[in-house]
Amino acid sequence: MSRYEEVKIKLGFEGQLEEVTLVLDEGALAPYDLERPYSVVGKSVDRYDAIAKVTGAAVYTYDRRRPGLLQGRILRCPHANANVVSIDLEKAKAMPGVHAVIDLSGDGRSRAKRFAWDAVAAVAAETEQIAEEALRAIAVEYEVLPHAVRTRDAMGEEAPQVGRRGQANVVPMSVRQNRNESDEDFAKRLEGIERERAAEFATLMEQADIVIEEEFETQCQTHTSLETHGLVCEWDGDEIMCWASTQATFNVRGELMASLRPKNARVVGEYVGGGFGSKFSAGVEGIACARLARESGRPVKLMLDRREEHTSVGNRPDAIQKITMGLKKDGTVVGYRVRSWGTPGSGAAGSGARNDVMYRLGSVDKIEYAVRTNTGALRAMRAPGWPQGVYSLEQMMDIAAERIGMDPVEFRRRNDDHRVRPHEFKLGADRIGWKEKRRVKPGAGKGPVKSGVGCAGTEWFARGGGGAQCTVRVFKDGRVEIRNGSQDIGTGTRTIMGMICAEELGIEAARVATFIGDTDDPQGPGSGGSTTAPTLSPAARQSAHDAKRELLEAVAEAKKLPASELDLAGGQVVRSRGGSRQKVMSFDEACAMIPGDVIEVTSRRPRNIREGFAPTNAGAQFAEVEVDVETGEVRVKHVIAVADGGIILNAKTAESQVSGGVIQGVSYALFEDRVMDPIKGHMLNADMEAYKIAGPVDTPRIDVVLVGVSNGYNSTSCMGLGEPPVIATAAAIANAVYHAIGVRITSIPITPRKVLEALARKEKR
Amino acid sequence: MSRSPEDPGGSDPRAARPGLSRRGFLKGAGLTVAAVSVGQSGAAGQKPAAPRFGGEEVPILGAEGAEIVLRVNGAERKVKIRPMTTLLDALRDGLELTGSKRVCDRGACGACSVHVDGKLVTSCSMLAVDAVGRELRTVEGLVGPDGALTPVQSAFVECDALQCGFCTPGMVMACTALLAENPSPTREQAAEGIAGNICRCGTYDNILDAVALAASGKVKERKR
Repeated sequence: MSRYEEVKIKLGFEGQLEEVTLVLDEGALAPYDLERPYSVVGKSVDRYDAIAKVTGAAVYTYDRRRPGLLQGRILRCPHANANVVSIDLEKAKAMPGVHAVIDLSGDGRSRAKRFAWDAVAAVAAETEQIAEEALRAIAVEYEVLPHAVRTRDAMGEEAPQVGRRGQANVVPMSVRQNRNESDEDFAKRLEGIERERAAEFATLMEQADIVIEEEFETQCQTHTSLETHGLVCEWDGDEIMCWASTQATFNVRGELMASLRPKNARVVGEYVGGGFGSKFSAGVEGIACARLARESGRPVKLMLDRREEHTSVGNRPDAIQKITMGLKKDGTVVGYRVRSWGTPGSGAAGSGARNDVMYRLGSVDKIEYAVRTNTGALRAMRAPGWPQGVYSLEQMMDIAAERIGMDPVEFRRRNDDHRVRPHEFKLGADRIGWKEKRRVKPGAGKGPVKSGVGCAGTEWFARGGGGAQCTVRVFKDGRVEIRNGSQDIGTGTRTIMGMICAEELGIEAARVATFIGDTDDPQGPGSGGSTTAPTLSPAARQSAHDAKRELLEAVAEAKKLPASELDLAGGQVVRSRGGSRQKVMSFDEACAMIPGDVIEVTSRRPRNIREGFAPTNAGAQFAEVEVDVETGEVRVKHVIAVADGGIILNAKTAESQVSGGVIQGVSYALFEDRVMDPIKGHMLNADMEAYKIAGPVDTPRIDVVLVGVSNGYNSTSCMGLGEPPVIATAAAIANAVYHAIGVRITSIPITPRKVLEALARKEKR
Repeated sequence: MSRSPEDPGGSDPRAARPGLSRRGFLKGAGLTVAAVSVGQSGAAGQKPAAPRFGGEEVPILGAEGAEIVLRVNGAERKVKIRPMTTLLDALRDGLELTGSKRVCDRGACGACSVHVDGKLVTSCSMLAVDAVGRELRTVEGLVGPDGALTPVQSAFVECDALQCGFCTPGMVMACTALLAENPSPTREQAAEGIAGNICRCGTYDNILDAVALAASGKVKERKR
């Protein structure tokens, strides 16, 4: 039976700290808090890999070179909806310089290609050019079917069949079809449910003083990682070595093991050029690369090109959200009704917009519909579902506040149970000069360039977990290293692991070397859901702590001192006795006493602690915009981003995460949009000039305000920070644009054309 | 042959910035391919007269590629190329200088930025053969002989002006070129100056801080 011990600790944030008794597993470390002074944790530490990255020395998968390396390419289906009737690889196989050609068209039903640029075949050849020529030599006969590539095009009665015969295009996500239920019966039952719910909601709305109805639309966004998806695979007998541009090294390893059954697979992703949720799997290209390498007996590199990156490896789905909100004059929300549609691609996964979150919304009636289209499948994208959902929710909050004549920040505060977010709203409002700036009524600013400010909240829920482990080695010569097999996709994981190790060992952060991104090292998480830091940091702390105890045992043994009185701090072994502390020896001298050459400790991440301060972390953003009512151009001038992530481990990289999230949010709000050609069924802007991403000149001044929260849920009090900053920005900008011009634009991207059209509608009224 | 001012194949190749105009780029490519076919037709025995391109002799390139010499980071380096090989691919595949990244491969993102005769060029949009006789500098060539980072590189580290790092070499080259032209830019001028470079992680705010820090001369020196 497990034993427990109790520890008293102050939880909360500055100005609101409360003493709490936490129940810990016996021997577990008490969480980091705001009280104790730390020598490394919470400081601003340079990224460990920054110098490698600014000098070009960092080697990414795309840069990997191997003796005899072949280049892999994938043949893509040119039709948006087609079945492969026949495929002939022989001519390609016979070409000089071609070493392997494989069929990816599938068998039976899976020979259906449901979107343009789905994979059909792959080749490995001496050069990229020969590979391209070989692709052209593959003869494929297609049965071409009608397609629908835009969500609304697939929703009508007359819409072409997107999936296989009999599959409906529009699929409710929260109401399931029973196994023996016919499509017709299901449609009828659904109609009944909708009728019933509509009646219930209408009754509920009788209690409301004000009922607001609005429809919002958000676009499909692609991840556009700068390093495209891809791998280098190399077989050695029946073992495979793979370098992958991935945010989940262990997933890639697992998939290679499962599909190719090698004796062993090792996956390395030392540097990864972006992922944002699209790189959790080996993917079609990964398995193809491994097969090509096996078939050719040579190492193969298969990196997707820019077009493939846009079309075939994921996106954030669009959303059409129809929302009804009923509220009382005092600001109490009575009920919230949501119907939403979005396309997950040709499958029927949830494309859901998280639009009923954060605030007390009364009784919620929500049904979400997935709409099949002949487009590439969605993948998780930084805070999946949240930016699109919060975009509609936060505008509803503003509309409601205006209707009852209440300040939007005050209206949110009254409907928010979160323990930190109202404080964060206050910090942001003070910082941007909210009260002063909001004195100007919406659209009442003078001159052709009108200013406005708007706000929105955010939230996330990553406390980490799972059985991650780290290895810490302390060498006799004083070197220290920490290892884990997961990856650093640019968030700064490498650096915080080293920092925590340094904190525990009482040495400088720069003394620790972190090794990351190699599945031969201990198991770690995929970088998703903002879980990497809260999962790895307690594992890093535990293993460093255990290594420290071993080192101190060695010192105690050699010096005949009681180990329990020894600790490491300030680069020294210190002895505490009767309230006084004295230096015993330097860290280096201690290392010299290590028996053998090295102390090596691999420790498991302790379990999460049951009670903490706030089960989710939150944030608030304030945007200031300028809208030119003559050109329709929107410029974001300033964003205040208040964020918490529990105890901040590295202020430098935490601020970068938040700032980067804001810039991606600006890009989502104003520029990005996947444009599909309804006639040919192709993505029209699968490049980087017509698919617009915010650039340096679009960047507002960004003030990041980090709120340290002693949260207590794990031994580092760390909460995932990566995703929440991207959630609020588009909503805050939309609200600021309304404040500037006095007319609400209910779809993103907010293009000049939409602004001018909205202003024209306002004129007419 | 008359040429438009933006044509990189103009009589003085140093006068124009190569790789800026796609139309000019394609024209230049066509000319080089023509040069190759001349070489092939004259391959029977005697050596044909070397074709001239942009006022300079151009080596004859066969289908299997031919060796050219590029002056990169202060050293003459031999590299085997084909007529259509871009400078980016010659650097990455031929010379193992993989700091310059292939991202959009059509001059829209700046990740492949290098300096050609001190000017910022997207190396994906310049043919390797056009770089013969030019002074090329890549991100690998910035660090001093003693391993000291340049002020721009040090400022990037200091300001955390990078996340995944894939755009970083191009950004460093763009900021370096910017400061060479304008040693003390305003924030707006700095943003305009590097407007051809795209970062997906969203590091621009920190990059603009780094430009200001590098320009201030107050950046702490760092070594590789």
